Amino acid sequence: MACSIKKVFTKEELKKHDGSNGSAYVAFGGKVYDVSQSFHWRKGIHQVMHHAGCDLTEALGRAPHGSDMLDKFPVVGELMDSD
Amino acid sequence: MAKVAREMVERAGVNVDELLELLVNNAAAELTTYYYYTILRVNLIGLDGETIKEIAETARIEDRNHFEAIVPRIYELGGRLPESMVDFHNCSACPPASLPKDPTDVKAMLTVLVEAERCAVRGYTNICNLTAGKDHRTYDLAQAILNEEVEHESWFSEFLGEGPSGHFLRRGDTSPFVSKFLK
Repeated sequence: MACSIKKVFTKEELKKHDGSNGSAYVAFGGKVYDVSQSFHWRKGIHQVMHHAGCDLTEALGRAPHGSDMLDKFPVVGELMDSD
Repeated sequence: MAKVAREMVERAGVNVDELLELLVNNAAAELTTYYYYTILRVNLIGLDGETIKEIAETARIEDRNHFEAIVPRIYELGGRLPESMVDFHNCSACPPASLPKDPTDVKAMLTVLVEAERCAVRGYTNICNLTAGKDHRTYDLAQAILNEEVEHESWFSEFLGEGPSGHFLRRGDTSPFVSKFLK
């Protein structure tokens, strides 16, 4: 039986994917998404004030769109719960 | 620059530099969309294409009006447009509304049009949310543009069979909401 094991990211590891090296990851709801190919995340920045390499769970609650916008992007891992 | 106007916005808690970048990016989206819609409109031909040509043209002209309306606010707040048109194009808040591979595929054309409008609706909703109760003039401008973008979206959405728009096409002048900023 095939079993896919997702990488577990710490917040520090997630920060490394801030778009500056071409790799832009964001976290939402415990999942880590690869948004590197998104027009809306060029250079790891979205709508001027949101940055890749961060957990956007709280910020997305204030966004003019739902979390379904992330569904089109591959999930590359899970964010380690820091609590 | 309108020094006191900027100061009022800053004192209300708005990060004006971030707001200016958003305004420039959205101004770029409007002008580039005007350009891309020109190509779409030219290619809206035949029985199906002609059916939506008029609303595509109205949306095209109103997007140019939005660009014209945003620019003064950018300079009032101490911002400016990029010197390079290439840089301006590349900072657009929305993806290019490029001609589909098959321009005779009217559904594909409508999908490009409605996605462009949806990007704009999200963008101006964001600016309204950031400026509500803090930057009254930018809010008024963004809300006026938002009203027109919502109507554009509903026109194209209606043609895609997503449900009735609930209103009729423009009768006469364009930009019923934004025109007050163009006088």
